[in-house]
Amino acid sequence: MVPAMTAIPADRVRDSDVIGESRTDPEAFAALFDRYSSMLYRYVSRRLGPEVAEDLVGETFLIAFARRDRYDGAYPDARPWLFGIVTKLVSRHRRAESARYRALLRTPAEDVVDSPDDRVAAGVTARSARPMLARALAALPARDRDVLLLIAWGDLSYEEVARALDIPVGTVRSRLNRARKKVRAALGDTNPMHEEE
Amino acid sequence: MDDLKLLRDLGRELEHEPPASLAHQRRRLFDPSAQAQARGQVGGQVGGRTRGRILMSASRRTRNWAMVGLAAGLTAAVVTVPMVLRSQYYSVVGVDSLDGKRASAPTGPLNVLVIGSDTRAGSNRKYGPHMEDDGARSDTLLLVHLPADRKSAEVVSIPRDSMVQIPECRASDGKVVAAHIDMINSAYAEGGRICARRTVETLTQIHVDHTIAIDFSGFKEVIDALGGVEITLPKAVDDRKAKLRLPAGRQVVDGEQALGYARIRYSLGDGSDLDRIKRQHTLIRAMVKKAKDLPADPARLMTFIQAVATSITVDAGLDAERILYLARSLVAVKPSATTFTTVPVKPYPADQNRLVWKQPAADKLFERIRRDSERTTADSE
Repeated sequence: MVPAMTAIPADRVRDSDVIGESRTDPEAFAALFDRYSSMLYRYVSRRLGPEVAEDLVGETFLIAFARRDRYDGAYPDARPWLFGIVTKLVSRHRRAESARYRALLRTPAEDVVDSPDDRVAAGVTARSARPMLARALAALPARDRDVLLLIAWGDLSYEEVARALDIPVGTVRSRLNRARKKVRAALGDTNPMHEEE
Repeated sequence: MDDLKLLRDLGRELEHEPPASLAHQRRRLFDPSAQAQARGQVGGQVGGRTRGRILMSASRRTRNWAMVGLAAGLTAAVVTVPMVLRSQYYSVVGVDSLDGKRASAPTGPLNVLVIGSDTRAGSNRKYGPHMEDDGARSDTLLLVHLPADRKSAEVVSIPRDSMVQIPECRASDGKVVAAHIDMINSAYAEGGRICARRTVETLTQIHVDHTIAIDFSGFKEVIDALGGVEITLPKAVDDRKAKLRLPAGRQVVDGEQALGYARIRYSLGDGSDLDRIKRQHTLIRAMVKKAKDLPADPARLMTFIQAVATSITVDAGLDAERILYLARSLVAVKPSATTFTTVPVKPYPADQNRLVWKQPAADKLFERIRRDSERTTADSE
């Protein structure tokens, strides 16, 4: 079983070598599927729900397989590459994604708090923050949301996100900042720590 | 608390564990037809982003339940309802002299061609007065395949912009129109349902047992008879061309609005017919959902039945007994056993606004259906 969204053990065959081998032996590519399909499934299930996740993961690997000749062997880790493909596929479901987040607004949170002050006093929990987060996510421009979620949910670094989306690292930073600012504003931005940033 | 931390918590809450069936996707990697499809998708992106996206969504095969059972549902709806009426209301169109002998076994695999047309004459005139002389064009073409065991259904959407070889057909004035290349929807315009069926049969080599046609005004009346259907719009719609204004969010739309929504081509999605196909499916699903509650309300049921019966035409082979049989078997198909496919397409070289079927992917799809259609007993994959 492949652990989700974790670092690669140092001792195993590098993804780049697997991809290289698959150029002459296509079946070798299945190893990549075994490594990352569960991870990608979990990621897509977060953004789009389980209904489409399976097909989308299958499609991701089909596309990756078709493009394996163009994989840059200088990168041992194929995750950013796969996340890049999956992000493009997710973007076709943009409307469904927003609808999914908005649907969270209708699900009542367990603990309801009255004002931002109470929230701070009680400690903001994921559950109470859910409607606010959901609203913020639904409202984010797709480009910013992609960056934010690749980092928060895909566990990619800035450099990896840059590689996945084929954009400069500086752009990753600015999109992330913009997205986080909006998320914080939606949360009421009650944390004084953020003012320093 | 940290916003990223909260976001991660939310992510964990939304996460689903991969099902055992995920392993099936692994097999697709080594399925030659799937690979050809994937290669086509990648290659298609040279023409720009939109083209790439169209190609990708066109050749995608999905089991997404949001799209499941839609067209099969429509077929079920149009097929189930007239059975109550027997054959007294709906029009029946037969065969023509170019047709030869047609046979259809009462049991065994079944293929039904559903034609959504935009007859802009008569009651449809207001949806495009300048089109009146053009005759009816098939706006939506669905091929519904039911294997012999009737435990599943496969719905294949044929994009209307597909450039294809249209075989020799007889026009409504009796003249024979020679074979030529044109958009697939012109077959219906030129030679009616018989020509549409013949075209699909020639191209796919799949025997079409029955055809069902429904026109725009019929679609509208059916929805009104249902008391409107519920759809959810992620964005407000304001499209002058379709004369449609709708707010964002969940809402009940009437026939007129639904028709507009199904037809918009410019202000929603990527402007392609493929995107529109998807919206039509959304509506069909909403209709089916609503239609399920109908039997409880006899008065509404009667209105609905009349609306459907007067807005569809079926072929002569589809008699009352057969309809009853079909309806029964369709109702038994579980939504989860319905797959939805669009014929794989790519841009037509001579005109980027048209499509051609992507080979060999398209033939592979038809071959599979054909093989299943020829079998006396269907295998359960």
